[in-house]
Order: sequence, then C-alpha cells, then structure tokens
Amino acid sequence: MRREGFPVEVAGLTKMFGSVKAVDDLTFSVQPGAVTGFLGPNGAGKTTTLRCLLGLVTPTAGTATIGGRPYRDLDDPLGTVGAALEAASFHPGRSARAHLQVMVLGAGLDPARADAMLAQVGLSEVADKRVGGYSLGMRQRLGLAAALLGDPRVLILDEPANGLDPAGIAWLRTFLRTLAQEGRTVLVSSHVLSEVQQTVENVVVLSRGRLIKQGRLADLDSGPRGVLVRTPTPERLLDVLAAAAGPQPHGPGGEPGPSLRADERTEAGQIRVVGATPDQVGHLAFEGGVELHELVAEASDLERTFLEMTQETYGPAGGAAGPVGTDPAASGSAIGAAGRAEQQRMASQ
Amino acid sequence: MTALVRSELKKISSTRLWWGLLLGAMLWTGLNAGITAGFAGIEPGAGQPASPGLDTPEAIRSVYAAAAFGGAYVFALILGITGMTQEYRYQTITPTFLVSPRRSRVVGAKMVAHLGVGVLYGVAALVAAVAVGAVVIGLRGYDLGFGADRLWSSMVLAVVAVALWTLIGIGIGTFIRNQVVAILVGILVTFLLEPLITVALNALDLEAVGKFLPSNASSALMAPSNSFVDYLDWWAGGLVLVGYAVVLAGLGLLANIRRDVT
Repeated sequence: MRREGFPVEVAGLTKMFGSVKAVDDLTFSVQPGAVTGFLGPNGAGKTTTLRCLLGLVTPTAGTATIGGRPYRDLDDPLGTVGAALEAASFHPGRSARAHLQVMVLGAGLDPARADAMLAQVGLSEVADKRVGGYSLGMRQRLGLAAALLGDPRVLILDEPANGLDPAGIAWLRTFLRTLAQEGRTVLVSSHVLSEVQQTVENVVVLSRGRLIKQGRLADLDSGPRGVLVRTPTPERLLDVLAAAAGPQPHGPGGEPGPSLRADERTEAGQIRVVGATPDQVGHLAFEGGVELHELVAEASDLERTFLEMTQETYGPAGGAAGPVGTDPAASGSAIGAAGRAEQQRMASQ
Repeated sequence: MTALVRSELKKISSTRLWWGLLLGAMLWTGLNAGITAGFAGIEPGAGQPASPGLDTPEAIRSVYAAAAFGGAYVFALILGITGMTQEYRYQTITPTFLVSPRRSRVVGAKMVAHLGVGVLYGVAALVAAVAVGAVVIGLRGYDLGFGADRLWSSMVLAVVAVALWTLIGIGIGTFIRNQVVAILVGILVTFLLEPLITVALNALDLEAVGKFLPSNASSALMAPSNSFVDYLDWWAGGLVLVGYAVVLAGLGLLANIRRDVT
C-alpha cells in the first residue's frame, strides 16, 4: 500500500510564553518516506513546535505548515496528519473505544476504523475498559491508535516510546519504519537518542528552542567505535596492544593495523581500544596471556555526540560562555534520561 | 457540523456524569414538586398571606411546571458547564481541536448537542414533578388539575427553559475554563446572587430590571404562583435566556478562541 506523505515545513518559527522564548527562529523541513527524529533535551521546545504545527499553539512569528498549509486550513485534518502528543489527553472515565469513536464521529470517518486501530495497537481486549485504569504504555498505544484513525499521510508523535516496554519499543520501531516505507512522513520526537537511533534516518536536533543540526543520522556518528576491555592487569594489556600496533599479521579477522590505539580509560575502569574488533583484541590478550574480565564492542557514539551538541542547556562546563540559571528540574530529568538510556542499552544487549 | 454534534453526543453519553446529573435532577424535582404541592394554600404564619390554593391554575402550574424547572435547571447548568470545562480538565480539548481546528464550530456543536440532552433533562424532570405532584395533590383531596389554564403550554416551556440553561452552562464554561470555578460561579450567581439582586431591585422599585435576570426570565415561561415579581411575557423570557447563553459563549469565544492549548 502506497500513501504519499506531505512535507512538513517550519520557517522562522518563534514562540514566546510571556518573556520566555520557547522556540527561537526555528527553520527545518521534514520529507516524506523516512522516519525523522526530532531530538533535544527536555524543555528544548520540541512539544511547543509540534503544537504550533498542529494549530494548537499560535506562533509569535514564523510559520509551521503541512504540505504548504497551516493545520487550521486543512480540509481533512485527520486524513492529513495523525498526531499523538505527550500529554495523556484522555477522559479517565471513557473507554478506549468510546474515545476513538468520538474522534471517528467528529471527523466523519468509517465507524469500523476505531476497532481496526485498537486491534492494530493490541488494545482490542481492553477496548471497553475505562482509560483511567490503563498503564502509561497502554495510553501510549491508545494515543497511537488515535493518530492512525484517519490513515494520515503525515504522522507526528511526541515521545511515543515513553512508558513502552522493550518489546513495545521494538514493535513501534518496525511499525514506524513500515509507515515511512509506505511513503508517509513520520516525525518522532524524543529526548533520548538511544530510543530512536535504530528507527530514524534523519534528525532535527533542537536545544534551547534553536536548531542545532538537521541532517542524516549517520552524519552525527563522528568518532570510530571502540572496544571496551576490563582486566586486572591493565599495564600488561597495554604493553601487548602496543606491541601489536603496526603492520603485522594477526589472528582471526585480519590485521588490527597501525590505527590500533589504547589510550583511554573509561570511568568504569575499562580500557578503550580503537582500530580493532573485539575478536582481535581478545586474540591478542589470549596470546599475550592477559586475563580479561570484560570484552565488549562499544555502543555507537551517537549518544555522546548528542549530549555534546545539546549540553549547553545544562549550564556551562567551565563557567565560560554558557547560559546561566540552569533549571534544576531539567538537570534532574537529564539524569533520568541518562538512566533510562542505560536501561535501554542493557535491554538490547 | 452534524458530524461534530454526533461527536459531542458521544462524548456526553460515554461517561457517567450525564446520568448522575439526570438522576439528581429527577430526585430534586420530585422533592420540589412534593413540597410545593404540600404547602400550596397554607398560611405560612405570622400573618403572611397564603400562596394560591391547589384549586387555582397558578398553583397547579407551580407544582407541575415551575417545580420541574426549579428542580432541574441547576443540573442542566452543570451539565452545560462541564460539557466545556471537562475538555480542559482532562486535556481532551487537544484531540477535539485536532478533529476540528475551527474552534467556534466546536462550541456551536456543543450547544446543539447539549440543547438536545437538556430537553431530555426537562422531560425527565417533568415526569418526576407530575408523578410526585399528582400523588401529593391527590392525598390532599384536590382535583389533579390537568385541565388547568395554560398548564400544558407551561409544561412545554418548562422543558424549553431547562434546555436553555444547558446553553447558559456552555456559555459559562467557554468563558471560565476552570471547572471548579465555573461551577461555583454558576451556582453562586443563580442561587445566591440572583435572589438577592431581585429583592434589592424590588426594594428600589426597579422590578422592570429584575425581570430580566435569568431565573426570573425562566419563570416567565412557566407563569407559576408568585406575588413577588412581575414576569416578562413567556416568549420574551425565552429570548432573554437565549440571549444570556449566546452573549456568554460569544464573550468566551472572544476571550479564548485563539488561546494556546498546551
């Protein structure tokens, strides 16, 4: 099934809440046929931008359009854009089915769509239960079902992975990719890069209401991946690795080559080796008689790149040019985000 | 627009509030009619004149029509207020405005849908008033009085008045988005402020102004027994009620239509 999406365009968008500039002269575009990640720490202005796109918030300046038109001027809003926003916008006393039926009736859609979408997100069995008793993950699924009601060309999801278990995240990933492959425009916001990095092709990175970067996700991945090694005798391992560096043939998987470096220690006491595979490092250690307690390929460096790009939000590192007055709540959630990212990594290993 | 009205009806019917309020309206109306019938024509004491007896058409209209309105209109008002404010309280206003980005149409659809449910409230209240009222009148040995002058038109107009109060509720809810504040204001104004203002206006010989207050305009529709206020004509009373609803909703739209939904 082919369903051609519309481009989403934000141009010079600025939104003031009182004297607070939530979005600051933001310009980016999102193309159909791919999943685009809308990334930034909490408070970066992601939700405000999405709400401007959906006609819920009136911009102070600039435009936010879908297929060249503001949301309020769309003839068939639900058939054009499906949105699931972070806030749990459900009446706790209303059943999931009734919630969707309210929307189906209002938009004049086929009445069968409500049940079909409940089945698609796996809520059929609890469709007549009141939403007040739903878990966060179930509400996220219901929000997704609501977004899909009109078979929209553009999908806008705010933090859809929040509250989903690892199986749910895996399911969401496949689901979003399928929707994009059908030709739709898919924009997914997240404050945790690792949540979406296996899903998105393109990224729009935001910090303090400003655009930091727009481009392909692959372009964010700057540094080479390394191998993390833990050993009770780090000096011996470093000697072995130093001896191996250079143009000599070695073990399984070919040559580590002259690029092999082992100069970095992580906080966990690991040695970070670049320019070699785990197989090669393991073989070298074996040959050199070095006892190893841990040998693991380093996860993608994206998370670190992402944090570096957006870290000015959390205040100056050296007291230099950074903005003053970091919100303690924002720092708290940053720790929460890091913790969650850690869980994600553990779950995927 | 019909789609939006059907959507609003589904919103009302898919939570439990509407029938809780309906039940309250019927119970309160029954009590109201029973007391009205029980004390009609009895001197309250201290030399005050008795209200008209159950053999007068005014008293019969008070029991069957005015009591139905008096018992139900506050519940209709609350239904109307919550019809708007619950959307903000539970943030369902977000999907609502996603379905219909033209916000004034949402308010219009709510008015139509709630007017319909308001008619249901009025009819249910009428049933309660007639059931309880007839029993009390019968027990007191009077004729049930179903042939009383202007009774049937008063009963129809009581239903209309109840329904119009849901519109006033939508108007208040559009203007005041906080549910608790909106309900408090609605009840304080109708229960406390209005009677006080009526008395004050009468004392100042300004009955001509007092009859335009919403409760007195409503009573004009039922023409109950009353020695206190000189009511408007029934049609003028109805127009005044519609006017309150439209002006409040219009002010609410002006104040809130472009407000950010965050």
